[in-house]
Amino acid sequence: MLNLVETSSLKKHYPMGQTMVRALDGVSLTIAAGEFVALVGTSGSGKSTLLNLIAGLDQATAGTLRVFDQDLATLSRAELSLHRRRNVGIIFQSFNLVSTMSARENVALAMMFAGVPRAEREGRAQLLLESMGLGSRQQHRPRELSGGEQQRVAISRALANQPHLLLADEPTGNLDSRTSRDIMDLLKTLNERDGKTIVFVTHDSQLAERYAHRTVRLLDGAIVTDVPA
Amino acid sequence: MTFRDTAHLALRNLRQAKLRTTLTTLGVAIGIASLAGMVSLGVGLQDQLVGQFVQSGVFDSITVMPAGPGGRGGFGRGAPFGGRARGAGGRGGRSTSAGAARGTDEPTTPIVAPAPEVPLDEEAVQKLAALPGVKDAYPSISVPVDVTLGDFSETFGATGVPMSSGLEGVFRSMAAGSFFQNGTDDACLLSLDVAKRIDAANPKTLVGQTLTLSYAARGAGTGDPAISNSGAPAVPGPAALMQLRRVTFSCPVVGIVEREASPGPFGGRGVANLMIPLSRAKTIAAENVTNVQSLLRERTVSPKYASVTVKVMHAQATQEVEDRIKEMGFSAFSLNDALQGAKRAFIILDIVLSLIGSIALAVSSLGIMNTMVMSILERTREIGIMKAIGGSDGDIRRIFLVEAAAIGVMGGVAGLLLGWIVGRAINFGANIYIVQQGGTAANLFSLPWWLIGGALGFSIVVSVLAGSYPARRAARLEPMQALRHD
Repeated sequence: MLNLVETSSLKKHYPMGQTMVRALDGVSLTIAAGEFVALVGTSGSGKSTLLNLIAGLDQATAGTLRVFDQDLATLSRAELSLHRRRNVGIIFQSFNLVSTMSARENVALAMMFAGVPRAEREGRAQLLLESMGLGSRQQHRPRELSGGEQQRVAISRALANQPHLLLADEPTGNLDSRTSRDIMDLLKTLNERDGKTIVFVTHDSQLAERYAHRTVRLLDGAIVTDVPA
Repeated sequence: MTFRDTAHLALRNLRQAKLRTTLTTLGVAIGIASLAGMVSLGVGLQDQLVGQFVQSGVFDSITVMPAGPGGRGGFGRGAPFGGRARGAGGRGGRSTSAGAARGTDEPTTPIVAPAPEVPLDEEAVQKLAALPGVKDAYPSISVPVDVTLGDFSETFGATGVPMSSGLEGVFRSMAAGSFFQNGTDDACLLSLDVAKRIDAANPKTLVGQTLTLSYAARGAGTGDPAISNSGAPAVPGPAALMQLRRVTFSCPVVGIVEREASPGPFGGRGVANLMIPLSRAKTIAAENVTNVQSLLRERTVSPKYASVTVKVMHAQATQEVEDRIKEMGFSAFSLNDALQGAKRAFIILDIVLSLIGSIALAVSSLGIMNTMVMSILERTREIGIMKAIGGSDGDIRRIFLVEAAAIGVMGGVAGLLLGWIVGRAINFGANIYIVQQGGTAANLFSLPWWLIGGALGFSIVVSVLAGSYPARRAARLEPMQALRHD
């Protein structure tokens, strides 16, 4: 099976005051296409840091990180932005929608950076939102939407440029349990039906066990267990 | 990302912060208004003065004098600048002699070349008139005559005016009467000053009245070698001294010439006190005796003129014609050199004015920078989001640059409008004062197309430059840090 993500001895250190924080301290991990992986750990275990490195939002201190057969450490800033644009779709705990734009504009914005013509991106954004059950909420601003709706807009946006890899950082962290289930069901569908590879970060072991095919547990920047469901 | 999309996002951002955008734009507008207003004032003043000169016929005329030290030195008392303009002629002379001093570097300059003196006589005048680009050439003649009208009696220099001068500024708008009908009749024009001296109450009623002019002439007119062109160099005998006579003729006043309303730095075209047709002045000059020296000296074959005025068809051709005249062996001067000096002075004035105007623009560019930096602080998270979903550094930078440029465009347009309105208002006020002081209303502010285009372009350039630092800062933001920003 094709490996989408390969890390070896991946380290991320950053200074905080006088001390050096070892957010990641030698992580070696391989994620294959089509997997549904949960990164589990307590706060400060390095799970989010690992996700951000894979997303190309942050740069590793040492070790190698290959995503889609590209060594992210060798990429320029412009190439990294291309990586974020084409290869990955990112979903955040706090949704991170542009507050002044409607749901559809938020989804279309991702395609704007990819140079998709206006008519096409409007049409695709509409279809995506409809498929998420937000057909009637397209013109609403984020603050007019519920948490679950906002997260579905964010997922639509992550899917806008049709990436193979979806990266979700605590996607249900701000949602109630019922909405959380809806969102996780949605991600599951994307994995099973559309073949998207999904890596999600959670502190909730139960959620990980229920949905993920594989649970990677981190502690103090290192992998402690890596078990298939 | 296409430019259209970039512009769309940029304008959207500006709309989102209407008040801030408006205030920043207003700052730029004031900067551009002060800059454009200052330059406009400089250009307006220049247009006023230079335009006046060109119309006055000073810049299309060249004064030709015999070469040699005498000819050169004689410029200061050059006949064409009679009356008030004489001082101005002296000024022009200084600047031209500076030009001559510069010219010593060039070996071709005829002033330096020791050429045999070429007589400045009627034949030379014909040659000068035949030069390409020359409209007319005529000797400058001023003869002293006694003017009598009733109780009034005074001696004036009667200046010969060629018929071609009838189209020039001073003769176009006369205080009363009209220019000479033809060049042969006895007729004269008076300056308004002289007319007032003759009849203080109603100077204009002098038109139609007849003056009595008289001058001292030598011998019997028939035998005068200056007129007869006999070719035999006559030696003045003692008899000539005895043959002085007084010639008297009547001369109707056909018109009164007013001075130009607003004096330029060179006094414009001077108006002589008393003007008669040139051909008449020539005959008088031929037999006129002003003193014993002239009585002895002037018995030559053909009269030599102290100076000849050459009119060119276009002021631009002045320099070229001037060079040709110098090649012929005369010294030639025009106020062109002075005009060049004046133009240089105006360039300096323009620079000073635009520097003053730029201060406001510099302040407003800081305003743009401040606004953009604030805006980036506010939108840090949004920038992070854009980067996370694939926006490149370049995309972000361009969005902010277009925002700055848009402020520049709006500020430029508003500034030009503001500058124009303020300029009109000042012009209106100033003209009320000028008219009260006896001047003619003038357009002090000129807004040519190049200034409109230049001000707009400058506004955009300054805005983009001011926005480039904030835009760069926004572009260099690390996506993770930007996303964590509250």
